[in-house]
Amino acid sequence: MHDEDIFARYEDEPAPLLPILHAFHERDGHVSDAAILAISERLRIPKADLFGTVTFYHHLSRTPGGQARPRVCDGPVCCLRGAETMRAALDGEAMPCSGRCDDPVPVLFGNVTKVGPSNNALEARSSPLPPPARGTECVFAHIREPGRATLDGYRRTDGYKGLEAALKLSPDAVLDLVNQSGLAGRGGAGFPTGRKWRAVREAEGARKTIVCNADEGEPGCFKDRALMDHDPHALIEGMVIAAYATGAQLGFIYLRYEYPETLQVLERALRQARDMGLCGDDILNQNFDFHIYVRRGAGAYICGEETSLLNSLEGKHPFPRNRPPYPVTSGFEETPTAVNNVETLCSVPPILHRGAEWYRGLGHGEHAGTKVISLSGDVQRPGNYEVPIGMSLRTLLHEWAGGPRPGRTFKAVTMAGLSGGFIGGKDLDEVTLDEPCLRSKGSFLGAGGVMVFDDSRDMVETARQAMSFFAHESCGKCFPCRIGTQRLTERLAGDAGPRSLPQWTEEVSDIGATMKATSACGLGVAAPLVTDSLIRYFGDELEAKWGAS
Amino acid sequence: MNKPLDQRMTIDGQEVIFAEGETIYAVAQRNARSIPTLCYDDRLEAFGACRLCVVEVEGYRNPVASCTTPASAGMVVTTKNATLDKHRKTLLELVASENPPDADVSPLRGKASQEMTELFTEYGVTGARFEGKKSGTSRPDDDNPFILRDYDRCISCYRCVRVCAEQEGDFAISVMNRGFSTQITTEFSGLLKDSDCTFCGQCVQTCPTGALADKKALRFAEDPAPVKKTRSVCGYCGVGCSVDIMTKGGRIVGIQPAFDGPANEGALCVKGQFAFDFVHHTDRLTTPHVRKEGKLVPASWEEALDVAAEGFLKAKNHDRYATYAIASGRAPSESSYLTQKFIRANNGTHYVDNCSRG
Repeated sequence: MHDEDIFARYEDEPAPLLPILHAFHERDGHVSDAAILAISERLRIPKADLFGTVTFYHHLSRTPGGQARPRVCDGPVCCLRGAETMRAALDGEAMPCSGRCDDPVPVLFGNVTKVGPSNNALEARSSPLPPPARGTECVFAHIREPGRATLDGYRRTDGYKGLEAALKLSPDAVLDLVNQSGLAGRGGAGFPTGRKWRAVREAEGARKTIVCNADEGEPGCFKDRALMDHDPHALIEGMVIAAYATGAQLGFIYLRYEYPETLQVLERALRQARDMGLCGDDILNQNFDFHIYVRRGAGAYICGEETSLLNSLEGKHPFPRNRPPYPVTSGFEETPTAVNNVETLCSVPPILHRGAEWYRGLGHGEHAGTKVISLSGDVQRPGNYEVPIGMSLRTLLHEWAGGPRPGRTFKAVTMAGLSGGFIGGKDLDEVTLDEPCLRSKGSFLGAGGVMVFDDSRDMVETARQAMSFFAHESCGKCFPCRIGTQRLTERLAGDAGPRSLPQWTEEVSDIGATMKATSACGLGVAAPLVTDSLIRYFGDELEAKWGAS
Repeated sequence: MNKPLDQRMTIDGQEVIFAEGETIYAVAQRNARSIPTLCYDDRLEAFGACRLCVVEVEGYRNPVASCTTPASAGMVVTTKNATLDKHRKTLLELVASENPPDADVSPLRGKASQEMTELFTEYGVTGARFEGKKSGTSRPDDDNPFILRDYDRCISCYRCVRVCAEQEGDFAISVMNRGFSTQITTEFSGLLKDSDCTFCGQCVQTCPTGALADKKALRFAEDPAPVKKTRSVCGYCGVGCSVDIMTKGGRIVGIQPAFDGPANEGALCVKGQFAFDFVHHTDRLTTPHVRKEGKLVPASWEEALDVAAEGFLKAKNHDRYATYAIASGRAPSESSYLTQKFIRANNGTHYVDNCSRG
């Protein structure tokens, strides 16, 4: 493919930089200086800026042959499963958790994911389906049915009934219904979806945008992958309903780099949906247009933060933006934009089809709806479980997932992937899976990643790995996060800092308090929850490592 | 047009007025509150990196960066208390952990070069806490004659990158890598002379740590004489940029732009910023010269003007197209006007131009 062909393919589409970078990366095996200069000139991006932005993404290789080099997951669970040995054997690069914690260890060879317990036993296979249902489900209700990922199979199992129901209502009535259902953002922030959509609908401006955040970068989270791999039409249907409700004409699915197979699934599903008039121009002859483009990320956890994601889409350096203005008034190219997580959007069609009351009733007590928990680590049956919000962690761990490995006991779980830090001690038996309860413990449910560590694990080392992930992914914009994640990592490793525990604790707590209070985005605010919870639950392990003085 | 100051809010217990669109920081500044910053330069878009300017707002769970947060009616803001002071000190201690307080940041490095050191002193930061790895790699290989790239002192506030883009429009430098590995760079980590840099020096003057420094001024760092600054106007062109000429014992050691200069607001070009060596150069002409028998020899002003006048009169013996006047780009408008008036009246030609069009 010549440069010209690559430009011709993408330059008239919205958000062209990422696909153009990927096309050069794949054609040349790396992003060469010549590619940067050519793209800079064509897209009119200053070359120093483009160079800086390319170096920001860890999957864009700048050395010949780098694109095809094996990338071995070094997420927390894969580290428990021998990822380090595999990486050495394969002479590969480490990649942060790539969302296959229920079927470790994933290795990315170019655009092919292979998984297996050792480098000699790697095979390409599709990602696991959720384990059998234990309760009433919303997003997983039909996911296990054969052919669900095809348009025919999807239609056989209630597919596109939500959209049909929505189109019989006014956009206003759709917003009311979503609001009444109690659906809130399932990517972690928990903002009420109906309110977000109404803000976009009511914002000034003729052009509006829906962005699906499929940059599932949180370690220990793999729910969006399961939804997209096995139920892609649910996501498309959810986005089309969102477009109808908000008045958006343009949509993006921002998919993380580490899911190349998912990219194929989504592109195929989008082609089918377009062919059948379910998205594109004049949807279902209702005189409404909505075009969806898939954009592949390039390796940056921060791009899961919605304003970084928008900068990334626009081809800018992916630092988070200052807010206000918020995306609902000034998002993609300053248009009012709803950024929604995959699970949130997949919840919308069943809500439209079955009603707000039905969805609201799925939660325990006061809590509305369900949440998918990606459960992994030292537990008998890892996988994605759709639980009623408010269910106890104990029920999930012991009844649904079969308890600890034989002869072991649970020591800790992470919450919100890594962002919620650890839960340990008697709280393991007491917490329920909902924000009010978890926040009272200094944690949060977030995107719903729960990694389990049993009594054989070293929690200080686990915390070091977690903090080193945050340091690796810190964007470098704000001081507390850029320097703080580095200093906390060094202290957990014992590379620097006081050697006496009381002074160690004081330094770590001071850094953590300032990071939480002053960081510019959620990364820097959440990272110290790792050290906070380590000190709270595992003082004995810290003492064993540093001794008391 | 400026919006009217018709909104009310409370800062540190005092009711103040502000205009819609102002940030909390701007309102606090106007009301004489002292809020520390490192990444702030009021000529640039607020960026929100250093977080030193955080303030508490009633009803908000966390402090907010006052430089990026718009003021709103009824807002109740606290700009200083023990909690905020503690956070600010911790932030400065984190900065100091990789940029040790150094009494020897020469003020010749750049106009804003003392900002970090002054904050360290104000907050009693000694660099004793949070030891660990350092970030930023200096570029001693960049042998350009103007800008020292001492990135060991860099705190990644991005003022240089932003001034290059927003004020100069060069986009010559950017940010490479991320997190603690962040590094200010040109494309492909090259030298400034191979980049789009015009050596205007604005990055040097906005740098709050002296990481970017004026190499020409630093030639005089060892001279113990005090630096004297004299406000003047750059003589290079007709724009009229205000400058502060730095001298040591009667010798020009460097030029700094005046941030309050009405024509330049802190901007200069490479000539105004760095090209001052001619002043003390032995080859500099200090008297007029006239050509005698093919050789230029020193002359008095009287004599030189007579020779010039004679030349203009002689030119009138030829037709009007024999004369072509080019006015200097360094001349102010009044002189340019006189040039065209003279050449039209005396020589009857419209052949008149300005060297800036060349």
